[in-house]
Amino acid sequence: MTTRYLEPKNFAEVFTHLGKLYRDHGPLGFLKIAWNLGHEPTPAGAMWKFGLILLTLTFGFSFIMLATVGHASFNTSSDGVNWGMPIATYAFFALMSSGLTMIAALPMVFGFKQFYPIAKRAIWLSIVTLIAGFAVLAMELGHPFRMLWTIPTGLQVMSPMFWMGVFYTIDLILLFIKFYLLWKDDWDSGVSHLVGALGFGAVILASGMLGLVFGSMVMRPMWYGSFTSIFFMLTAALTGAAAIVLAVYMSFGFKREAMPEPLKSMAEGDELPKVFATLIGITLVMVLTRMWTGLWSNLDGLEGFKALFQSPLFHFQVWICFALPFYLMLNRETNRGVMWQVISSVLVLLGMAINRYEFIVGGQLVPMFKGNWVNSLNAYTPSITEWALTLMGWGLAFALYALGERLFKLHAVPGEPRVIR
Amino acid sequence: MAKWGMVIDLEKCTGCQACTIACGMENNRLPGEHWQDVIFFTEGKYPNTQIKWFPRPCMHCENPSCVAVCPTRATYKTEEGFVLVDWNRCIGCKYCMIACPYGVRFYTEEKAAYGGPNVKDVFPAEDKHSWNPPWKMPDSQEDWKHGVGVQPHDVVSKCTFCHHRVSKAPKGTADLDPSDPKLREYTPACVVTCAPGARFFGDLDNPESEVNRLIANKNGARLLDHLGNKPQVYYLTGEGGAVPSGRALKKS
Repeated sequence: MTTRYLEPKNFAEVFTHLGKLYRDHGPLGFLKIAWNLGHEPTPAGAMWKFGLILLTLTFGFSFIMLATVGHASFNTSSDGVNWGMPIATYAFFALMSSGLTMIAALPMVFGFKQFYPIAKRAIWLSIVTLIAGFAVLAMELGHPFRMLWTIPTGLQVMSPMFWMGVFYTIDLILLFIKFYLLWKDDWDSGVSHLVGALGFGAVILASGMLGLVFGSMVMRPMWYGSFTSIFFMLTAALTGAAAIVLAVYMSFGFKREAMPEPLKSMAEGDELPKVFATLIGITLVMVLTRMWTGLWSNLDGLEGFKALFQSPLFHFQVWICFALPFYLMLNRETNRGVMWQVISSVLVLLGMAINRYEFIVGGQLVPMFKGNWVNSLNAYTPSITEWALTLMGWGLAFALYALGERLFKLHAVPGEPRVIR
Repeated sequence: MAKWGMVIDLEKCTGCQACTIACGMENNRLPGEHWQDVIFFTEGKYPNTQIKWFPRPCMHCENPSCVAVCPTRATYKTEEGFVLVDWNRCIGCKYCMIACPYGVRFYTEEKAAYGGPNVKDVFPAEDKHSWNPPWKMPDSQEDWKHGVGVQPHDVVSKCTFCHHRVSKAPKGTADLDPSDPKLREYTPACVVTCAPGARFFGDLDNPESEVNRLIANKNGARLLDHLGNKPQVYYLTGEGGAVPSGRALKKS
C-alpha cells in the first residue's frame, strides 16, 4: 500500500501539527515518533536514521571532549597549524551551500528553465549545508556566543571575516525567504525573482569574502592573491553541482525510474552532465595552475607546495577525484548513466573535501617566524575530536536533508499539486 | 602622547634568553608560550655553517595586520602605540594568529609544549583563569581589557610591551632607561633584565629620544619590512648582526 503525503501549507500548519503531537504523546513519545521516521522504508527514512545516529554520536563525543579537555583536544598549535580540519570542514560546507544557490540560480535567475526540477531541492540543501557549516564553526570557536555581541558592536569593517559573516548571514536569510516563497508555489512573482537575484549576489559576495579571508593574507603567500576568491567561487559551484546530483539520486534510491516526470527527463538529458563536466574542467585547470605557479616560484613561504605535490592525497584528488569524473561526464557512453553520475559526484565531493583541507592546512605548512624551535614544515594530523566535528557536519546535513525530503515536495516545479509522493 | 618603540642592538645581543625568562616571570607565561622569544636558526651548508639568533618580541606594528583582521575589535592599537588584546571581547577565532607575520600570538587552549608535563593541569585554576601559576603578578595589576595577567580560557594572548609598567611612566619621558632607578619600574621586563644592554625602549615620536638617535645613527632596520606592517621594534645590525630577510627557516 502506498501512502500519499501532502506538503504542509504553511508554518502554522507545521507547528500546529508538531504541537499536537507533542501534547498528545509527551516529550519522550514525541522523540520516539521523530526517531520512528527512520523506520519508514524510504530513502528519506534511511538518511534520517543514518544522519541522526551520526549526529548524536559525533556531537555527543565532541561536546564531552570540549567540556572536559576543551580546545586542547584539537591538534592545532600556536607554533604550527592554527586553523585545522574543522575550519576546512566549515569552508567545505559553506562553499557547498553557496554552490547550491548558484545552481538554483540557473533556472530562477538566469532562465535555464530545464533546471527547475532541482531548484527547490538545491535551495533546501543550501540552507541545510550552511547550517552544518556554521555548527562546525561554532564548535571550533573559543567563544561562539560572545561573537553575537562583539561583532555587531565592534563593526571592524577592515576584517574579511566580518564581511564573510555579514554576507553569509544575509545569504541564509534570503535562502529562508526564497524557500518559503517556493513552498508557497510562488516561482514567478516579482518578489520571488528579486529574492532570487539578491540571493545570487549574496552568495557570490559571501564565497568571495570567504576567499578574501585567505586571499588577503600577504604574509601567507600560499593563500595570497585575487585568485583565491575566484577559486572559491568557482569551486563552490562545482561542489554544489556534485551535491545536488548525489542528493537527487539518494532521494529516489539511486533509481531514475522512481523519479517524477520533469525530474526524470532532466536526469536523463545531457545538460546536467555538460554543466558538471564544465565545472570539473574549470576546477582541474585551477588546481593545476595554482600548483605549478607555487612549485616554480622562489618566494619565501611557498615551500609548502613541494610538500603538497609530494603527498599522495594531492594526486588522488587530481587524478581520481577530478580527472576521472571529468572523463566520465564528457564521454557519451558514460555521462548519462546513473551509476557513473553517482560515482562522479561522490568522487568530486571527496576531492573538494580534500582540496579544502589541503588549501587551508597546506597554506600554514611553512612556519611563520619560528627558527629552529619548530620543523621546517609544520606537522599536523587531525585529532579524533576534529574528525568528530567533521562527521558532525555530515550527520547534521544528512538529518536535515532527510527532514526536508519528508516534509516538503523538494522536486516541485511551477504549478503542480502539493502531493509529495 | 608617546609612541613607544624598542631598539634591539644585535651586535650586543648574546642570545642568552634572559629576556624570554624575564618576560615569562613578569607575565605568567607557560613553558614554550614565549611572548618574547629568541629565535635560533642556521645558515649555510656544512662545513660553512653558522648558527644565528634573533630576539623577537611583538613588533607592535604601526600598521598591524592582526588588528585589521580581528572581526570583534578585541585586538586593537592604542594611541601610545601598544597593540593589545581585550580578553573580554576575544572569541578565539585565531585569525590574528593567521595574520601575524612574526608568529608572536598564542592561543590559550593547547597541548603542552615540549610534550608536557602540562603545567596548567599541575596548577589548575578554580576561577575564570586558565590556570593558577604558583608565582604570578599581583591581582591589582591584572587587566583583561589590555591583555595583562593570567588569561582566561579560549582567548589569544601576546606581548603587551609590559603595558602594566610602561603605561604608568611619567608623561613626557623620552626614554625608559633601566639604569635610571626612577624609571626602572616603568620599563619592560625584557629591557630591564638584558645583561649586555642590547635593548632600548623609548618614545619614537620624540626627536630627542635615545631610540630615535640609535635608529638614525646606526641604520635601524625592521623585520620583514616588505610586508608593510611597519614594526615599532627596530634592529641595529652593525657589523656583527643581521636581520633575517625571510622567515628564518630551518632548511630541510
